[in-house]
Amino acid sequence: MVNDHIDTHDVISAFLDDEQFEANALVEALSQPEGRAILIDLIALRHLTRAEQGTVPALKPSPRRRVEIRPLLAAAAVLVALVGGYFIGERRRDTETSTSPPAATRVVEVQSAWQEIKPGSM
Amino acid sequence: MTDDPDALFAANHHRLFRYFCRAVGETETARDLTQDVFLRAARAVVPAGSEGEVRSWLFRIARNLALDHHRERARRPRPVELTDAGARVPSQDIDLAVNQALAMLPDLDRDVFLLREVGGLGYDEIGRTCDLTPDAVRSRIHRARLHLRDQLAAPLALRQTAPMRVSGGER
Repeated sequence: MVNDHIDTHDVISAFLDDEQFEANALVEALSQPEGRAILIDLIALRHLTRAEQGTVPALKPSPRRRVEIRPLLAAAAVLVALVGGYFIGERRRDTETSTSPPAATRVVEVQSAWQEIKPGSM
Repeated sequence: MTDDPDALFAANHHRLFRYFCRAVGETETARDLTQDVFLRAARAVVPAGSEGEVRSWLFRIARNLALDHHRERARRPRPVELTDAGARVPSQDIDLAVNQALAMLPDLDRDVFLLREVGGLGYDEIGRTCDLTPDAVRSRIHRARLHLRDQLAAPLALRQTAPMRVSGGER
């Protein structure tokens, strides 16, 4: 009985897997309710097993993309250096070329403590 | 069969990724291992032969990597899953059930089954990959299917309520 069951399943498996099988054995297997149930179960099992667990990965390392990114990064670094250098230079030029004192921002008035003393009064 | 790395990658990366997804049960690890297969293949000489023979060679590399991964994982403590079971969608539960049922199979039976079902290899190719005769492959696939049919009775019944197609000719 067990062997019959195994043989039935075996020919159905071979049929599903596109392997060689005996047509008469398949007819015999599918003439039984158990054989038809196995066929349906195995198709469902295949669907369950092949269900995607994740997206297909973009696995291949892309050297071309790396080559394209490097010059862009270098150009960006040069640009940042040039702009930064320009602003730093501008700031230094302002402070170094000016000879006049800076304008007063606050005037403090000091009361004079000076008193004129007449000669012979001390 | 061409030994052009691009053609080799295009023809096989999807099926290798799917194989690893089921063999190790983790998508991220599957990505890494798939990449490792092609790195190893790039360092080796692709054997001259038919498309099936080259595919068997690639899957032999893949199988060794999966076995190494399982050995490595067995040495480390297993992380505890923090995801709330109630937060998983039904398809994730079924995925988990499939992976658990696969994990209960003997290593060789699981590999033979996965090489056929997700790798798309024929019995001859599987035989070359695993050093088995085609008859032994047929027998092991049959045994694995019987086991999975028993273990996954509920998900299988549920799956049968949706439209299906045989799609068995994928190679």
